[in-house]
Amino acid sequence: MTILQVIVSGLLLGGVYAVFAAGLNLIFGVMRVINLGHGELMMLGAYITFWLFTAFGLNPLLTIPLSLAIMFVFGVLLQASVVERVIGKPLLSSLLLTFGLSTLFQGVALNLWTANYRSVPYLTGSISVFGLDLSQTRLVAFAIALVVTGGTYLLLRATRFGKAIRATSQQAQMAQVCGIDVRRVRFASFGLGSAMAAVSGSLIAMIFTINPEMGRTFISRAFAIIVLGGLGSFGGAFFGALTLGVAETLAAYYADTQLAEGVAYAVLVLVLLIRPSGFFGADE
Amino acid sequence: MSDHAEVIEQRPATGTHGDGARSTDADDSGLTTRPVTAPLPAWERHLPRIYLVTLAIVIVLLAFVPQRVSPYNLTLILTVLLTISLSTSWNIISGFAGYTSFGHAGFFGIGSYVGALLLFNEVMPWILAMIVAGLSTALVALIIGYPALRLRGPYFAITMLGLSEIARIVTTAWESVTRGGIGVYLPILRDSTPNYYAMLIVTVIAVVVSYFVGSSRFGLVLRSIRDDEVAAQSMGLDTTRAKLAAFTLSSFFPGIAGAIYARHVGFIDPVTVFAVIWSIRAITTAILGGQGTFLGPIIGAIVLTLVSETVWSSNPFLYQVIFGGLIVGVVLFLPGGLMELMQRFGWLPRSRRL
Repeated sequence: MTILQVIVSGLLLGGVYAVFAAGLNLIFGVMRVINLGHGELMMLGAYITFWLFTAFGLNPLLTIPLSLAIMFVFGVLLQASVVERVIGKPLLSSLLLTFGLSTLFQGVALNLWTANYRSVPYLTGSISVFGLDLSQTRLVAFAIALVVTGGTYLLLRATRFGKAIRATSQQAQMAQVCGIDVRRVRFASFGLGSAMAAVSGSLIAMIFTINPEMGRTFISRAFAIIVLGGLGSFGGAFFGALTLGVAETLAAYYADTQLAEGVAYAVLVLVLLIRPSGFFGADE
Repeated sequence: MSDHAEVIEQRPATGTHGDGARSTDADDSGLTTRPVTAPLPAWERHLPRIYLVTLAIVIVLLAFVPQRVSPYNLTLILTVLLTISLSTSWNIISGFAGYTSFGHAGFFGIGSYVGALLLFNEVMPWILAMIVAGLSTALVALIIGYPALRLRGPYFAITMLGLSEIARIVTTAWESVTRGGIGVYLPILRDSTPNYYAMLIVTVIAVVVSYFVGSSRFGLVLRSIRDDEVAAQSMGLDTTRAKLAAFTLSSFFPGIAGAIYARHVGFIDPVTVFAVIWSIRAITTAILGGQGTFLGPIIGAIVLTLVSETVWSSNPFLYQVIFGGLIVGVVLFLPGGLMELMQRFGWLPRSRRL
């Protein structure tokens, strides 16, 4: 029974990863920018939850919409002021840029909140489901993650604006010719991607301890997930996230947590070396 | 990337210097607003000699430094030298060849550990241990480079990020050899002068190698890979071999510098020597000075290290804010770094020797 419990627990964690990775995927799809600062956007989301919880005693679940809204605006502003300038430039300049942003945000967070590990104690108990003892936070987090991923999926599939986003990621120039305001699509996509990173950060804050350097491990996880699940497709990212969640939880259970952290890197490097065409697929 | 094309095309086929004939022709055609090939000034030809004289003077000056300055300033100059060797070697693969590496911290860390463990177990004399440390990172680069360099630029960058972290995790987990997260304590040295001289020699070699890479045919091959790898391949260039050679060279100096650093500070652990800040430092200094040039990383390393050590060394977090901000600023407003700024003002020609 324990092994099943570990697997289910990993699946629940994977749901949170999925939100994060899907945001990264969305940003890359629309503007061909690999956002190395995505982990730091997540970290900021986590700190918004932590801050609202400790300073104002707000229920962590209520902080999630706030974290989403704040980081959406932040993402739009970031896109408008900085990232927009490297659109259409070689991938490497956007890589360097977002790497700089990640370093910058991390530094700012270290100054604001110090390097200490923080936590948001909420729903700390566990609950018995079909004979499995599952952490309540993970269950709640998984449910919220499902709602957010599903909501974004619906937004992309069922709305006119979602169609514009999809058109832009397929062929930006053609989309523009057809009358889509590509700039607005880019702003919205970066905002949406940031918001998804922030939500996953808020959820992670409830599950694990957080600190300003947490982004670095999560960005590698996201790359590993996209490697596993294949490009663009929401389903693929979701599948990859669940797989990674389970693999990590199993590694942590059977070996140690240090090694669990290595799983993502190992997956990332192995798949890239075996399939050098790159994991975001046909981006050319 | 049009700027890079100019760098390659700068030399008139006739080999004449200083005449304005070519640019006049271009103006007559009425098609180009700016001459693609600005004539090189006469002194450009003498650059190798100018460098040689400058290098000799600098070496002589730096050789007498340990007897004259305080231990604090000696460590400061050692840090400058360390940063020069890091940024110069990063520039070989990332600046010249355009394969941006976010993982040079990995080489620095591996070098530190190999060097420190050889010293700790008293296997060999320390100078030999330093060299072995450099050779081992070069070997690591050779092994991972073969598959990793097949990846196109962005994927290579992400893979390097992962590989550097894997190196840290393996070092932490492999307790029987590396002593794990506890770290390695080395005997405290009363005199850091030998470390200083070792770092000086390594930096000088790194700089000289970087010059020859930058100004040679090999450097042209690397630049053509950066500008258009497929085109370079179809011209019959062995791009794989060139990339691998550049990568191996680029990893050797961080390894040896890491080992000297370990001996100098006397204590290392995985968190400090594999810290991403080593990559950040190499990248920021190199792109501030001007990536893909010979002088850029040197200028960037000197300027940034001196400024940072004197102004904000007391707050390591602020350090990260400023470095991050600098990367963003340079990428947005000055992609060619300080070198490009000077070239734009016409103070420096667009020469491959710079």
